[in-house]
Formats: sequence, structure tokens, C-alpha cells
Amino acid sequence: METDIRFTHQTLVEQCKTGNSNSQYELYSLYVDAMFNVGLRLLGNTEDAEDIVQDSFVDAFKNLNSFTYKSSFGAWLKRIVINKSINHLKAKRVAVVPIEVHEFHLAEEEPVEAEAVDLKKVQLGISQLPDGYRQIIQLYLIEGYDHVEIGEILGVSTSTSKSQYHRAKKKLLNIIEGL
Amino acid sequence: MDNFEKHIRKNATRFDTHKADRAKLWANISAALEQPEPKVIPLWKRPMLRIAASVVLLLGIAGFIGLSVMGVGTSEPQYVSRELLDIDRHYQGLVAYQVQLVQNNPNLTANDKAEFLSFMDELDAEYEVLRKEMHKNLDNERVLEAIVANYKKRIELIENLLQQINDAKQPDEDYGYTL
Repeated sequence: METDIRFTHQTLVEQCKTGNSNSQYELYSLYVDAMFNVGLRLLGNTEDAEDIVQDSFVDAFKNLNSFTYKSSFGAWLKRIVINKSINHLKAKRVAVVPIEVHEFHLAEEEPVEAEAVDLKKVQLGISQLPDGYRQIIQLYLIEGYDHVEIGEILGVSTSTSKSQYHRAKKKLLNIIEGL
Repeated sequence: MDNFEKHIRKNATRFDTHKADRAKLWANISAALEQPEPKVIPLWKRPMLRIAASVVLLLGIAGFIGLSVMGVGTSEPQYVSRELLDIDRHYQGLVAYQVQLVQNNPNLTANDKAEFLSFMDELDAEYEVLRKEMHKNLDNERVLEAIVANYKKRIELIENLLQQINDAKQPDEDYGYTL
């Protein structure tokens, strides 16, 4: 029988729902590094990432009863971290969508086909992307969201997410080419 | 999805290169979780309070309807009364202040004061008549004008009297100065 990914760590999650602090620590230990990296990628600095991760775990544990295995616990928690990070960036008036979104484009951005690239170069290339481009690339390529989900997270339409992603990807490939 | 994207998504975990300060973050999380939640008593869930709230709501609605139905005929007089009240307050203050000035004036004889006060009494009587008229007369605007004129007359009277006192005083002082 195939195990449904949504029920990963179900026992632990259920124990956490009862307020068991040992189980909470165990669950925290399993996810803290991954969540910290998610926050760090989006926010760009350790202090903000730590604050967001702390808040996210507190919120997650306090509202664990609303978690009903519609996704895995990790995906649920990651969405909390990402939403909080995006809100934090918006509060700091950092562009979460490229500025060009407001401009009128006569032609839709054509998707660019590319071959696999060394991941270190990708990582370096992403770090050199402007705000807005960086977030959309991270959400799509690394966090694995589709454009409907990214639209929800960033508060833009699915088509905007798609066109902005293609533009960001083109820029990323240019940067990587120059490395 | 091209090879570039597939390659990154497949190896997304390799972007998690940072480690969180587990002890520090957990200390803050557990401290936040230990803080007692403010108790929220869902009052609306108690049947007695539900009934009480319904009764209050019904009384409120009934009161509102009652007031709006009864208030239709009396809306204009209420408005005029309020206007009259404002005028009253303004002029009463002014008149009272000036009467006080006259009464305190040492340069006036008792006869002068009595004469002045009798004039004032006459105007008071006229004012009372106008006030009564105000309640029964539909043409409130004209009555209001008459009331205001009455007040103005009183103030004019007082001002004239004060002017006379000052005029009478002036030559004496000048005279005394030349001597």
C-alpha cells in the first residue's frame, strides 16, 4: 500500500495537537532548517528569516487543529513561512513582483528553453537577480509552486505570474551565461 | 518544463545550505507557546445570553421604529427649538454680562440703574411673548428674527448706556487733568 505524503509525521502532528512539548520540539527539529532556508532565500538576511521562522512555528503550533491533512505538514508550514515572508517584504516595501508588471507589453514573453546548469551557478545567479525576479524564480523553481499558487501568494493573476517568471528566467539565464 | 527547470526542481533540497540556530529559535518559540492565551468566552454560545441579546435587539428595533414614526411630525419644531436654544444661549450670555457691567458701574445712580432695568424688563416681557409665539406659530423664521431683534435691542440699550457713562466721565477727567 502506497503511503500518502499528506500523512507524513501524522503521529507526531497529532501529539503536537494535544500540546505535547516534546513532540513539538521533535517536529520543530525536523523542519526548522528547511524553513529557515526558505525564509532566508526570500528575505535575504538571517535576522528577518529567524523572526519569520519563529513566528511561523508559533502560529503553526497554536493553530495546529486547523491542519486537516489536505497537504503534508511540511507543505502547510512552508506556506505559512512563505506568506509571512512575502507580507514582511510588502511591509518593507520591497517589490515582490517585478516593477515591469505595471508596464504594457505588446507581446507575451516567449518561454525560453534551456539545458540543465550547474546548481552552484544557479544559486549565484539567483542571488544577483533584482527583487521581484528573485522571489518569483524561487517560488517556482525551488519551492515548487505552480503559477496558480504563486498568483495567490503574490496577489497577482496566474498569467502575470507566468509572464513574470519567463522574464525572470531569461534574466537568470543571461546572468548564468556571464558567470 | 525544460531540463533547466527539471534539474533545479529535482535538486531543490541542495539549495538548503544554511543551518538555523536551533537552540535560540526554540527558546523563543517555547517561550511564546508557554504564554497563556487570553481566554475568550464565547458569550453568544450561552442560551440565556442569546435570549437576552435577542430581547435587546428587538427592543432596539422597536425603539428605533417608534422614534422614527413619532419623530416625523415633530422634526421641524425640534430643529427650530434647537436653533432657538443656540441663539438663546449666545445672547443670554451676552446680555447677562453687560447687565452685570451696568450694575457694577459706580458712576451710575440708583435711579439710572432702576430705569435701565425697567427697560430691560419690558424687553424681557416682549421676549417671553415671542417665545410663546414661537411654539404655536408655524412661520418660525419671522418669530426667530423678532427674538434676535429683541436681543439686539437689549444689547444696544446696554451699550448705549455704557457709552453715555463713559462719555460723561471723559470731560471730568480731562478737566481734572488740565487743572
